[in-house]
Amino acid sequence: MIKIDGSIGEGGGQVLRSALTLSMITGQPFRIENIRANRSKPGLMRQHLTSVNAARDVCAGDVLGASVGSDVIEFLPGSVSGGEYHFSIGTAGSTTLVLQTVLPALITASEPSVITIEGGTHNIYAPSVHFLGRAFLPLIERMGPTVVLELKKHGFYPAGGGRISVDVNPVDQLEPIDLLERGDVVEQYAVATVAGLSGEIAKRELAVIGEKLGWSEGNLHIELLDDEVGPGNILTVEIVCKHAHEVFTGFGERGVSAERVASRTAGDVRRYLAAGVPVWRHLADQLILPLAIAGGGSFRTGPLSQHTETNAAVIERFLDVKVHMAPADDRTVTVRVHS
Amino acid sequence: MSTQYTHSSDRDRRPTVVLGILGTTLDVGKGSKRWMRWRPTVSLCQHDDFLVDRLDLLHSRRAASLANTIEEDIKSVSPETHVVRHILDMDDPWDFEEVYGALHDFATTYPFDPEREDYLVHITTGSHVTQICNFLLTEARYFPARLIQASPPRRAEDGAGRFSIIDLDLSRYDRLASRFERELTDAIASLKGGIKTCNLAFNSLIERIEHVAARTIDPILITGPTGAGKSHLTRRIYELRHHRRLVTGQFVEVNCATLRGDAAMSTLFGHKKGAFTGAINERPGLLRSADGGMLFLDEIGELGLDEQAMLLRAVEEKQFLPLGADTEVSSDFQIVAGTNRNLDDQVRNGAFRDDLLARINLWTFELPALRDRPEDIEPNIEYELERFARDRNQLVRFNKEARRKFIEFASSSSAIWPGNFRDLSAALTRMATLAPGGRITLDVVDEETSRLAHIWSDKFSKPDNLALARFLSPEQIEEIDLFDRVQLDAVLEICSQSKSMSEAGRKLFAASRTKRSSVNDSDRLRKYLARFGLNWAILSSHS
Repeated sequence: MIKIDGSIGEGGGQVLRSALTLSMITGQPFRIENIRANRSKPGLMRQHLTSVNAARDVCAGDVLGASVGSDVIEFLPGSVSGGEYHFSIGTAGSTTLVLQTVLPALITASEPSVITIEGGTHNIYAPSVHFLGRAFLPLIERMGPTVVLELKKHGFYPAGGGRISVDVNPVDQLEPIDLLERGDVVEQYAVATVAGLSGEIAKRELAVIGEKLGWSEGNLHIELLDDEVGPGNILTVEIVCKHAHEVFTGFGERGVSAERVASRTAGDVRRYLAAGVPVWRHLADQLILPLAIAGGGSFRTGPLSQHTETNAAVIERFLDVKVHMAPADDRTVTVRVHS
Repeated sequence: MSTQYTHSSDRDRRPTVVLGILGTTLDVGKGSKRWMRWRPTVSLCQHDDFLVDRLDLLHSRRAASLANTIEEDIKSVSPETHVVRHILDMDDPWDFEEVYGALHDFATTYPFDPEREDYLVHITTGSHVTQICNFLLTEARYFPARLIQASPPRRAEDGAGRFSIIDLDLSRYDRLASRFERELTDAIASLKGGIKTCNLAFNSLIERIEHVAARTIDPILITGPTGAGKSHLTRRIYELRHHRRLVTGQFVEVNCATLRGDAAMSTLFGHKKGAFTGAINERPGLLRSADGGMLFLDEIGELGLDEQAMLLRAVEEKQFLPLGADTEVSSDFQIVAGTNRNLDDQVRNGAFRDDLLARINLWTFELPALRDRPEDIEPNIEYELERFARDRNQLVRFNKEARRKFIEFASSSSAIWPGNFRDLSAALTRMATLAPGGRITLDVVDEETSRLAHIWSDKFSKPDNLALARFLSPEQIEEIDLFDRVQLDAVLEICSQSKSMSEAGRKLFAASRTKRSSVNDSDRLRKYLARFGLNWAILSSHS
């Protein structure tokens, strides 16, 4: 049984989720200890439990120690089968993190799947639904399978209540891809989304984006959602290039001004544009795992987050692959996965 | 296919069930802005590290639409939580009687299964009266639950705020438990009067008395041979209760053997001025003096039947009629009764009321005789020497060999200690007084042990040799104090040498008859004999 120390790297839920995914795919059981040992509330939280249970369901596996607060679990995978799945995640936890856990297994299953997940759709410490749908999944589709993500209803913290639905047409084997150049910018725009809060927030955010990125009104859009899905505010900036599509998300937070939310997001976009790479930080986090499953591939990105390095370490425990991270200069890194 | 939340690894975990009242003030909120408010009931289901498996939500019919919103919102933030709604109508949530009644009804009909479910009573919502009632019902275990209290997020925090779980079983808290442990040890030490007793049966008896004494206001009956420490123990119980503020009134003690005739009634129940000849002033009586306190009736078996009847009423109704009074007075006291007699036998003889016995026979503790507690002789010797040192301001110690010899004698089967601790105390006092230079020597011990052996081997310890053995069974004699035995034996000796009760009376009361105006010696003798169940007919039939 593979033993994993949950406190390695950033020591959060990512280690657990990556291990679950890899265990499902490779059929290797694992035991993880010190789950989220470095966090203020260590151990399994409810949202992690939902991912664990989802993984268990998708591969008809078994799990020991899966309860709130548990700092060790053993996961014994069965065999993955596609089909209809429905998961609900409490505390407005991220639906995308649950999807991230089970999707790599389902895109290489023998049957198609329809996955419905209820909970939060735009969570501050998770990839947003827009990011997954427009930046990440198109790359997965370039590797072979068809994955159609639909946002049925927004779900913000703390109310939750969002819903996504995902249609998966799997393939037997993922094709490696290489993302080394992004090509020219084809399209760029920002959308400020507001639900159950004043529309002024959206206007103020877009004013900052327009100013910092030098964009005109035609690139700035306001989206006002039904009051009932609120309260919530996100700022989504998309950069569409000839060979790449990146999505940047700013999250409105209590106690943080609209200007600050927009300014942080704009800063991230400017660094991306300046670096000239096709893949930015969050996408890099997501990509390594499918490339490892495909058995190879590469991409160029900016400075790596700790998430990426943690992911690479866990991947190398389950798969016979090497993840090479070679800094080209202080702003770019080339990541290569090979067996 | 949908996810199942009960699965193999969760089997050991009892599902968490929260019982709570819908907060018609704190839980409200309209539109999406409600999510910016802290709503306690919803907040309990928003914690990432705490899962409510079921929420039993109590609300009035009027609050149904608020309950709908709360149920929907909980479904959204906690799909794992099953919400069960219960209608609990209360006209006035600030009316203690109504609220307690409604919650009590709910608690007694709710199918609690603490083996399978872990219950938490939510006390953040509802009126203060509701919160108090929830607390009381939980403390009284009508809700076999712990309490859960939610608190709003602090300034810098976001979201669900905090919660704390309060277990009213205080023994579960380490720091509190050690404090209670210390208090308990102190209490038990105090009940033992500071004597470090070793006898297991006695020590467990004292622990049980501590347990009962701290909790009951019901009568307590203490049985045991004379000198076993009934009076001493009762005073300690009173001191313990007084220390714990469980009793505010006085400790009142009387030996019923000293109460006779009109004086008995008057001593116990008081009298009005002029109630009888000699009643010059009003007297409140011991029962009234004990109001709010504790009344110790030692030798309760000696109480006359009239007094028993009055006492029963006083214990049951907390009311009685003083001598010569037209109206009843009331007094509320805890009664502790002591006896060295077998009250059941006395009930059979008609000397004790069975209804009074039933009333005082709720908590009965039997104090063992000293000879049944040989391991406690040594700690009691220590105690007596300390007491002597305190009273006389003179430190006395045993020589090593002397000590060994005395303990050997005192614990031997030939040491019968008929007067129990009273005898032991007297022996120690004699030895300490005679100890040359504060040392109890072998000589002193030898003298004392031969004195005791002589007393016990004397005719009083061998009932067969006594005059009273002709009239009373060994069991009956056993129940008579040595003190009385000596006197009774002499009286019976005189009676057997006299032709009539008058003659015996004249001989026995010869000294006092010269000073008294009214002479009724035979009546005095008749009453004396009656105390031991004897009369002249019995005596003359044996002679």
